Amino acid sequence: MRKLFNLALGIVTSIGGFVEVGSISTSVQAGAEFRFSLLWAVAAATMFLAALAEMAGRVAAVSKRSMAAAVRERFGFHFQIVPLGAEFIIDTLLLTAELGGAAIAVKMLTGIGFQWGVLPLGLVAWLVLWFGNFTVIEDGVGLLGIVTLSFVVAAWQLHPDVAPIVRGFVPSIPHHDLTRYAFLAVSIVGATVSPYLLNFYASGAIEEKWTAEDLWINRLTAWCGMGFGSAVAMGCLVTAAIVFGPQHLKVDTYEQAAQMFVPVYGRWAVALFALSLGIGCFGAAVEIALNAGYVLGQAFGWTWGIDKKRRDVSRFVAAFSVVLLLGVGIATIGFDPLRVTLISVALTVVIMPLVVLPFLVLMNEEEYVGTHTSGPLGNGLLATLTVLGALMAIVVIPLEIFGG
Amino acid sequence: MDVVRDVLDKSVIDRNGREMGRVDGILVELRPNQPVHLTAVLIGPAALGDRLHPAVGRLVRLIERSFGVDQDRPARIAFAGIDAIDTKIRLRMTITETAVAAVEQRLRSWVLRLPGSR
Amino acid sequence: MTREVRLDRLVGREVYTANHRRLGRLEECRAERRGTGWVITEYVIGAAGLMERLGLGVRLIVGLERAAGYVARWDQLDLSNPDRPTLKCAIEDLQRR
Repeated sequence: MRKLFNLALGIVTSIGGFVEVGSISTSVQAGAEFRFSLLWAVAAATMFLAALAEMAGRVAAVSKRSMAAAVRERFGFHFQIVPLGAEFIIDTLLLTAELGGAAIAVKMLTGIGFQWGVLPLGLVAWLVLWFGNFTVIEDGVGLLGIVTLSFVVAAWQLHPDVAPIVRGFVPSIPHHDLTRYAFLAVSIVGATVSPYLLNFYASGAIEEKWTAEDLWINRLTAWCGMGFGSAVAMGCLVTAAIVFGPQHLKVDTYEQAAQMFVPVYGRWAVALFALSLGIGCFGAAVEIALNAGYVLGQAFGWTWGIDKKRRDVSRFVAAFSVVLLLGVGIATIGFDPLRVTLISVALTVVIMPLVVLPFLVLMNEEEYVGTHTSGPLGNGLLATLTVLGALMAIVVIPLEIFGG
Repeated sequence: MDVVRDVLDKSVIDRNGREMGRVDGILVELRPNQPVHLTAVLIGPAALGDRLHPAVGRLVRLIERSFGVDQDRPARIAFAGIDAIDTKIRLRMTITETAVAAVEQRLRSWVLRLPGSR
Repeated sequence: MTREVRLDRLVGREVYTANHRRLGRLEECRAERRGTGWVITEYVIGAAGLMERLGLGVRLIVGLERAAGYVARWDQLDLSNPDRPTLKCAIEDLQRR
């Protein structure tokens, strides 16, 4: 009974963590410029993420090792240093973008200047990590994040035609601007399948002490959790499509994006959008910083864990603190969070093959997944994802230049 | 036993099951006309740095010293001190008998100064 | 004269034959207990070791046949210059992997 309750909670809280600066920016732009025709990209990216998360959870539950630990042990430090280094850079950039997004939300709500908002936000994030524990952080971020359901409610209230939405789930060639379309499709994948999410999910499985008996919980949490989360991203896309689509508006700022709530929420539009953006980004910032601690601790063999006494995990504390400091520092310089988001999303796509390839090996090794190895279907899927990942990695930089 | 597959990069725990880190390097002894003898495992970021490039290892040692971590680093644990090699490497000794925790202990003194450090 | 070196300095090095041809890379060392210590009894050379490290999954998908590799006994490899491991015997005397 308790397990069912935790499972339900796990799925609900995934909604909160899913939508953040990357998914909001790509969904809004996709909806505004191409109406419903990129819904298939959100769905495909979500399935990609859920499949990898389930696998990461499986390794964690069976072998008690997160992805960072498993990759270090199975492939050695020489292999790991490349994706590890890249992930660290991407996560710092993404953290900067999330803090920036949250600061913009604060500005929309209170008028406090963007650069002034970043430092207090960073401090609050640090305090959450300093005093919190896994349950408080996970559930807190998740439950607060339910405000992002306002995207789903908005889409619902606008009474869109069902037929074009259904068609949007089938990939199609657009009538205009193919490079931009392809760029947004690839960006949606990059924004959804963030490498930090995979290690964070696996670390969570270890913090929650999952075992091989909990694999069904892992499967449900990964698929339903990400599925529900993607409903929010889709709601955002649909709303943007209906409100901005007819004018073929190119949305360049979050303030502009907030206008999409006006037809449904009237004078509450900006506040509700800002809350959704702010909470989504703040929650993601906390998770990214925490994950930096997880990844470095697991790769280098430090004692780690947000449920442990802070004095027993000093290096872990130092890791998340330094990363937050870096994020705050770079965000305060004043780079446009939208631009930083798109760069980190593009970099995510570039290293994607290196992220997926280890799964291909680990899923077939008894030491990491016990008897729950990937069958031919699972291996076929992983091989396809690796190839797709490699293709996207090759095209993303040219697409960013010509379509970004 | 395959040294690279079964020992290098694996997790190390002490006699009481406490996490000590990972095998970041391995020392061997070359003896003329004899098989190579496994001497010790190395634990510590300097050993990892050495694996990338000797200059990186030196830089790490410099950073450690500037933090006030003066003990012999990276920590060296003789192969004779290994009790079992399994999914983790278990040692015969406790962590306090080694120089492994030096950086952690140094940072701990800073962490303890923060209010509310539980 | 005994010398202490880092194993990771040896692993990954190109192994040469007696007449200076490249054989492959030193990928793995197999060790056995002797008394209270461990000694290296065999060296795995060439692509084979790399395949072993990359593992089953890749072979399943990519369908690569196990590339030719060699296993050398400890007395078949000269490590007096650790930066340039050299065979002390003919290639034919090595085990195939």
